[in-house]
Amino acid sequence: MRRILLGLGAAIAMLVLPGLAAAETVKVGVIGVFSGGFARWGEQFKQAIEVFQKHHGKVVNGNTIEIILRDAGGPDPAKARQLAEELILREKVQFLAGFAFTPNAMAVAELITEAKMPTVIFNAATAVITRRSPYFVRVSFTLPQVSAPIAVWAPKNGIKKVVTVVSDYAPGHDSEQTFIKVFKANGGEILESIRIPLSTTDFAPFFERVLQQKPDAMFMFGPGGPPSVAMINTWASRLKPAGIQLVTTNETQAIDLPKIGRAAIDAIGSSNFTEIIDTPLNKRLRADMTAMFGPDQVPDVATVGTYDGLQLIYMTVAKLGPRPNPDDVMKFWTSGLKWESPRGPIAIDPKERDIIQGVHLRRVKEVDGKLINVDFEIVPDVKDPWKEENK
Amino acid sequence: MATATVILLDGLAYGMVLFIISVGLTVTMGLMRVVNLAHGGFAMAGGYLAAMMIRAGVPFFAAAALATLAAGILGGIAEMTVFRPLYRKGELAQVLMTFGLTFVFIAALTWLFGTDVKILPIPSYLAGPVDLGFRTYPTYRLFLIVVGLLLFLLVWFVIEGSLYGARLRAAVDNPRMARAVGIDVNRLFTITFVIGCALAGFGGVIGAEMLQLDPFYALRYLVLFLVVVAVGGLGSFKGSFVAAITLGVVETAGKFLFTDIAAFLLFALVFVLLLWRPNGLLPPKSVA
Amino acid sequence: MNPAWHALPWLLAIAFYFTAGGYLSLGTSILVYILLTLSLDLALGYAGIITLGHAAFFGFGAYGAALFAIHVNADPLLGLVVATAVTAVFAVVTGMLILHTQGVTLLMLTLAIAVLLAEAANRAYKVTGGDDGLQFTMGPVLGLFRFDLWGQTAYLYTLVILFVWFVIAWKVVHSPFGRSLDGIRQSQARMRAIGTPVWWRLIAIYAISAAMAGSAGALSAQTTRFVGLNTLGLLVSGIAVVMLVLGGTRRLYGAFLGAAVYVVVQDFAAKVNPFYWMFVIGGLLMATVLFLEGGLMEVLDIGRRWLRRLLRGSDPT
Repeated sequence: MRRILLGLGAAIAMLVLPGLAAAETVKVGVIGVFSGGFARWGEQFKQAIEVFQKHHGKVVNGNTIEIILRDAGGPDPAKARQLAEELILREKVQFLAGFAFTPNAMAVAELITEAKMPTVIFNAATAVITRRSPYFVRVSFTLPQVSAPIAVWAPKNGIKKVVTVVSDYAPGHDSEQTFIKVFKANGGEILESIRIPLSTTDFAPFFERVLQQKPDAMFMFGPGGPPSVAMINTWASRLKPAGIQLVTTNETQAIDLPKIGRAAIDAIGSSNFTEIIDTPLNKRLRADMTAMFGPDQVPDVATVGTYDGLQLIYMTVAKLGPRPNPDDVMKFWTSGLKWESPRGPIAIDPKERDIIQGVHLRRVKEVDGKLINVDFEIVPDVKDPWKEENK
Repeated sequence: MATATVILLDGLAYGMVLFIISVGLTVTMGLMRVVNLAHGGFAMAGGYLAAMMIRAGVPFFAAAALATLAAGILGGIAEMTVFRPLYRKGELAQVLMTFGLTFVFIAALTWLFGTDVKILPIPSYLAGPVDLGFRTYPTYRLFLIVVGLLLFLLVWFVIEGSLYGARLRAAVDNPRMARAVGIDVNRLFTITFVIGCALAGFGGVIGAEMLQLDPFYALRYLVLFLVVVAVGGLGSFKGSFVAAITLGVVETAGKFLFTDIAAFLLFALVFVLLLWRPNGLLPPKSVA
Repeated sequence: MNPAWHALPWLLAIAFYFTAGGYLSLGTSILVYILLTLSLDLALGYAGIITLGHAAFFGFGAYGAALFAIHVNADPLLGLVVATAVTAVFAVVTGMLILHTQGVTLLMLTLAIAVLLAEAANRAYKVTGGDDGLQFTMGPVLGLFRFDLWGQTAYLYTLVILFVWFVIAWKVVHSPFGRSLDGIRQSQARMRAIGTPVWWRLIAIYAISAAMAGSAGALSAQTTRFVGLNTLGLLVSGIAVVMLVLGGTRRLYGAFLGAAVYVVVQDFAAKVNPFYWMFVIGGLLMATVLFLEGGLMEVLDIGRRWLRRLLRGSDPT
């Protein structure tokens, strides 16, 4: 917060002292997924950008911040790279940002290194990404970051035997591996690890297999969207009656709860953002989301990722001006930055350029007829455990 | 044993949903050789309409009936405007056309309802579990199996027992001869197309518990419907029933038993079945 | 056809190189799609092999080129040749299994192969990188031209390879072998009756087509130095068919027009409004079917007739 105030102070100073800085346009290229089966991510990017601009305007120190959206259409590395090239060479952007999917972020790594393009990741969550280029910084989360704390908590709270069920792709593997390692180290026992193909429509046979193992809980990671909804429904109808608990990471976001319905009640989650937390910034974000986009709209992980990514970029422009040297930007980003996010205090790990933040352990409850995530523990200042493991 | 029964029931329920949605496509493709890639769009439209109506307070079955009707009407309109000019053109033009139509479907639903999953609430008396004696089982899945079976019997009765059915069978088996004896094949096609789309819409409604509704539904599940058509045999409604049930049960059992190779099961099965019987499990006489 | 017309697309492609600015990489991806669509024209357009599985070959070539660059040698041309060759072998093997079938059955079989291959690539994540994909480095083309940030090398390299393949495709369809494919498409029974080895001819053209698609995949991987699972996706197969039919089948140049128009319209529409470009593309596809029997190439034909009439001052018909 202090830095924003500083930035605002600087902005005011610039305004009252005309002629000190020529007004310029700072271009920020945002590569997201705005169409196709994953367009929901793009919608969240877009909403977050609009809310952020409502809060902070489009001008920093007299310099207009112009945001250029580009659609990769889905996980499409070649397209992402092409868009990044166009944004850099043709639009001459000062910052790249966005990236809902890991492959799209990975595909631009070589390019941004060569072009020295500071790039902010709004969402993609596979741990390794920031190691692929020294010009990446991430403000979302990593999968090991949200999977580890719950694996520490579980064995201490009566969950000794677990079957892991994850979608069979890289993020699922990331999540599964972290959970198994930490859970075992804390005295837990893994009965079976099931990887479900992404193309699955009916999850019943996999969950029947879990039922046979009679675990205390099932750890689950889905790909989001329709399959995740179906997975939680299947848990509720088949495993919950047998007393098998559900332990997940981001599967029970408030944005999904109305779709999952009462089936989600009692599901245990672990996330970098619980939508109803009482930070002043989050209250404001929530109020504006509903005012601008309708009563059903709530901020989500990608919303706060985008919001904080823009905070970072605005801070950078406020500090370094509209045409900063890329290496100065990276020096600034790795100077131990800390700021106030809607999710609470966050920081950037100076060494790994990855986010450090609190992880919320919570349970879905029905309060006054509404389904919400209720935090029972917040583990503060969690670094990405994968990077600690793979130094 | 208990688990085996449950897996069998799951497979049946899954197969029934596939059958209900695909049966119309099988018959129209067999009848006119029109490659209709937009078929999933009609199922999706039915599901969305029902979801909207249920939200507005219409009871589940009334909404399902109205959505079925609406999908049929939509199918009729599409047949008269978009599909008629296609009959003369080759399969490729049909692919392009119906692919384009699917894109428009997707864009329209995104525009109207956003990109999120639309939940279709099922009535409370079907939502809970039912006690099978040895364990509980979701009531709704039993309901799916019963509805699928009833629908199959109804379709059988109509196709084997009515004049319309006799004409349809004749036209699929030998369209030229059917024309020669005075059957209006084009009109027959329109009627069948409308019924097929209505059934797809119905399947979109009652299958939404399994095939979740979002704008990309029309493309995501299209392959499943085409698989049923190809494995069952073009033009054969009994074939599509056998294919849907076989694929549903074998895939479900396979996933339970061999989770490691679950991803390969469906298409490996399709591959083997098609190499074994290239014209489908129960092809009509014209191609058998 | 007047030979001057043949020079036109290539002149345009070269002119684009000098005027593209930051769009060269869009240009490269158009060239890659043209090559993929051209390959499909051989199999689907000329030989009538109904396929929704060309992504299998595209992806096979892409992963082939990437793995070769990582584990064996980073030379682009060598990698391209190897990737192309292994894709052709893969096509011969799968073709022998499925090419006795026709129509929807063949369609589903090709699709099944593509899906199974994609699943296999996902499962073999230790080799393929799974969903994360593979990032790798390439050596310079011919040891001289390194892949630069501006994508100049990538564009010209792709253009040259496309030209080579176009010449091969041209020779193939105008050879007696190519003419026999026409016959096979129209009636396999008739061709069999006059003694044509239908099955072998189909396998041969399937392999040539697959090799081309494999080259396209390899180029896509090499020019972006990245390969992901999407190269094996159903969408790639579907879009290739759409581009081909949009441009016009059995014209070779139809691939150029279809791929270019599709990519440019999509890119443009997505920039105007990323949420609704599907409306534009969907409408374009439907309009093409309703108003242009032979795809977009028909527009060119009409234009050419107009031009000729204008020049001669009389109706050539």
